[in-house]
Amino acid sequence: MSKHDFRGGVLIENPYPLNQLSVVEVPPPKKAIYLLKQREGASAKPKVKVGQKVKVGQVIAVSNNDYCVPMHSSISGVVSAIDDQPIAHSSGLKVPSISIESDGKDDWISLKGCGEEVDKCTPDEIIEKIRNAGIVGMGGAGFPAHVKIKGAQGAKTIIINATECDPATLCDDALMRKYPEEIIKGIEVLMYACQSQKAIIAVEEDKVDAIIKLNQTIKNKNICVEAVPIKYSTGAEKLLIKLLLDKVIPTGSFASSSGVLCQNIATVKAIYDAVVIGKPLVSRIVTVNGSALKNPSNYEVRIGSSFSDIVKKSKPSANPHEIRVGGMMMGVDVPDKNYSICKITSSIIVDEIKIKQKESACIRCSKCNEVCPINLLPQQLFWFCKSDNTKKASSYDLQDCIECGCCSYVCPSHIPLVEYFQYGKALVKKELREQELAAKSRERYEFKEFRLDRIKQERDKMMAEKKAALKAKMAKEKDNKAKIAEALKRVNDKKK
Amino acid sequence: MIEAIIVFSIFALLLGLVLGFSAKKFKVKGNPLVEQINSILPQTQCGQCTYAGCKPYAEAIAKGEAKINQCPPGGQEGVDALAELLNVDTLPLNEEHGETKPKHVVEIDEELCIGCTLCIQACPVDAILGASKVMTTVIASECTGCDLCIPVCPVDCIYLIDLKPSMDEYVPNMEKVTNV
Amino acid sequence: MITGKPILNTSNLMLQVIYGLILGVALQFYFFGWGVIYQITLALITGIAAEIIFLKIRKKSIDVIKDNSAALTAILLAISIPSIAPWWIVVLGTSFAIIFGKQLYGGLGSNPLNPAMLGYAFLLISFPLEMTRWTSSFLSFGEGLNVIFSSINIDALSSATRLEEAKFALMEGEVFNPIQIDQTVWINLGFLFGGVYLFYKKVITWQIPLSFLAGIIVMSALLMLVDSDHAMGPVFHLFHGATMLGAFFILTDPVSSSTTPRGRLIFGFLIGILVIIIRTYGSYPDGVAFAVLLLNIAVPLIDYYSKPKVFGR
Repeated sequence: MSKHDFRGGVLIENPYPLNQLSVVEVPPPKKAIYLLKQREGASAKPKVKVGQKVKVGQVIAVSNNDYCVPMHSSISGVVSAIDDQPIAHSSGLKVPSISIESDGKDDWISLKGCGEEVDKCTPDEIIEKIRNAGIVGMGGAGFPAHVKIKGAQGAKTIIINATECDPATLCDDALMRKYPEEIIKGIEVLMYACQSQKAIIAVEEDKVDAIIKLNQTIKNKNICVEAVPIKYSTGAEKLLIKLLLDKVIPTGSFASSSGVLCQNIATVKAIYDAVVIGKPLVSRIVTVNGSALKNPSNYEVRIGSSFSDIVKKSKPSANPHEIRVGGMMMGVDVPDKNYSICKITSSIIVDEIKIKQKESACIRCSKCNEVCPINLLPQQLFWFCKSDNTKKASSYDLQDCIECGCCSYVCPSHIPLVEYFQYGKALVKKELREQELAAKSRERYEFKEFRLDRIKQERDKMMAEKKAALKAKMAKEKDNKAKIAEALKRVNDKKK
Repeated sequence: MIEAIIVFSIFALLLGLVLGFSAKKFKVKGNPLVEQINSILPQTQCGQCTYAGCKPYAEAIAKGEAKINQCPPGGQEGVDALAELLNVDTLPLNEEHGETKPKHVVEIDEELCIGCTLCIQACPVDAILGASKVMTTVIASECTGCDLCIPVCPVDCIYLIDLKPSMDEYVPNMEKVTNV
Repeated sequence: MITGKPILNTSNLMLQVIYGLILGVALQFYFFGWGVIYQITLALITGIAAEIIFLKIRKKSIDVIKDNSAALTAILLAISIPSIAPWWIVVLGTSFAIIFGKQLYGGLGSNPLNPAMLGYAFLLISFPLEMTRWTSSFLSFGEGLNVIFSSINIDALSSATRLEEAKFALMEGEVFNPIQIDQTVWINLGFLFGGVYLFYKKVITWQIPLSFLAGIIVMSALLMLVDSDHAMGPVFHLFHGATMLGAFFILTDPVSSSTTPRGRLIFGFLIGILVIIIRTYGSYPDGVAFAVLLLNIAVPLIDYYSKPKVFGR
């Protein structure tokens, strides 16, 4: 049990009755849709054409951008469409996607990994393998794993985040119980790739089975399991580091610069698959939970499967539902089940429709500040964001908000504070973008003025030079004429 | 009586010295006014304000020759920001100069373009690339949406394109979120 | 750290504060009789009516009345007013508190000043005579009605408060025993008990009440040392006047008090100091209302300079 702590946080019980869910393996779906943009930033470009046959594990989209990993097909079949499909994001927008219809064979590409003896590969080769396997942070942020590992070369400590981070999500627990060997081996790969000395697996203290299983599996004395309190927002990377190592990672810098690498436990399992077996990231465990389900469960599903197929397996009620993706605290509400599983989809919550609490006036009770793990003043930020006062909001460190939702959870006035902060942050971003654009066009405008001016000056100068040359020439000619005239005169005078 | 006058004179003198000193010492070294005004203007360089560009308009405002409500791309928010900077009452946007349009860029239909280069000369920010009698194109990331190239095109091959909303630039609609 | 699904909602929060007042009010009733109940009833009717009328004028949903904040303001004002004050005092004061103290600023959450204290200060300045006549005897049901609704001479009933007595005694150089358990002490203990209840229920935080009481103790002890002719000492101040009511129910109004943890310490402490200064040297007997209003004005400044240190900065 860790001696340290971070401020704030909320103890939230899982609102749904089950605290442990088994893992159900779902056979490959008939059709899969791969979203080529899974987080903010660049999106991968399709490498296949409609009608092309693909195998499981085949690369279907790539990008030159190092922050964008390749996408692999998770089923074998034929590419049926390359179009825009909705993404589970608050914007409700569509992003480029590839659809593949299954041929029912589940035909894999040939896999070639490093095998159990990873030290046959160099750390660089391992990192390249991780990149090529399309691995991103599977806890929800989706940050490319290889970028993080590359930045954490020589990190003293590796923290494996198995804290779920969400009261209603139980997929990490299931993973630990099902794949303890793979996880430990994955950690060893990671330690080798970063040349680290120590790894800590952070598990919530109520996940007793998982802790026992892991402890039985660990043979390496440099790896240890640490039970952490079941306090919500412990799963946030910087807070977990504070809790385990009592280190504060300064705003704007990465954990790696303090010699720490933090990876989600599902990511570690994916790293094992990629490095040891050579298998790309084509499946993950998703928690399907909620009050509208008869049979909530964890499902090991292929990436790209549709939400509705998986939810159906949990026997939802016939009523209309409220659907939330990515956890009850930090997830997003989506209008229906017409989405497909991404690499970052950790949970789908299907609830009966609840009456939304009415938002009332903020009474500045400061409960939000009490629970804020970052020690912000949400009650003040709320006013600034509400009135679009981005300057003021920034001076109260709006950018440091991790959007964990503790403040919204405790607010007695039911104000959706996090939504306001997301709005404020988007406004700040928009303003920055506009300023950048304005600065660029101003520069270009001024350059054009300068260019036109220069051309004019050059032309003037050239004209002036030409004129001068002409004048000189004319003067010379005049001179010559005068000389000729003089000579003629002399001749004439002589003649006389 | 005399004493009072002397005391107050000395007092006034001292205060004057303090004021003079602080005026020098704490002098605000801000941008010149034109720069400040120009930084509020949207830099579309569209000329709808009747000036040749944003900077000339800023200069005209600074001299007091132009009103602050002549910039449609800046919208009412821009007018308000100018009013705040200049410490004057804000005005409604003057619709004679046009109305605020959503952010957009232009695109040249390359099939129709005859390579006359008129648009290149019209573009205030050099965002159009091309040369005489060859295909001409717009660099979308540099285009400010000033639309100055549209009227000069002899074959009407320049179109407006609305910017596609993207996930990265998404700003939530708070009216949908709040439940008051 | 907060455990489980915490509080409730805003209207429940206000209701908890009202529950916290019950013991103190019961003691007031025990000592002063039915006048207390009449004042509270009048204030509640006026307060809620004023709130509804102004919500209508502002074209807001009158559902807002359910947040119980108008009721709380009304009760706080009613129990600060002498129980034998004529009916129009409480009606005027409550409407002033609701209209000028709250609704004109934009309703709950937007008022910079504590509405109940604004109403109280308004009454105290406008009607000093009516506002400083307290009773020391129990008024029966009928007596209470008589006193409040008809303009009978109430001189026979009224007496000075202990705070005033003490002040006069010290001025005249008479012997004054600061440690004497009387009605006010009991009432203060009642509110202290209610305050502990609120703290237990996590409705209020410890910063404001404790720093306020600390301010009172420090300042009154200091005055004992430097100006013992006027000073009454910390023990007296803690259990007389509106000390406990102020500490747990008035200063802790979240809307108008400081909102940062350090700011709350400063806010409470400064009010404590001001209260003692006003009580000792001011011309009004108690100073809680004025001290609270003065510090309410300073809240934006306090909040600005007491921003907590953000994680990672």
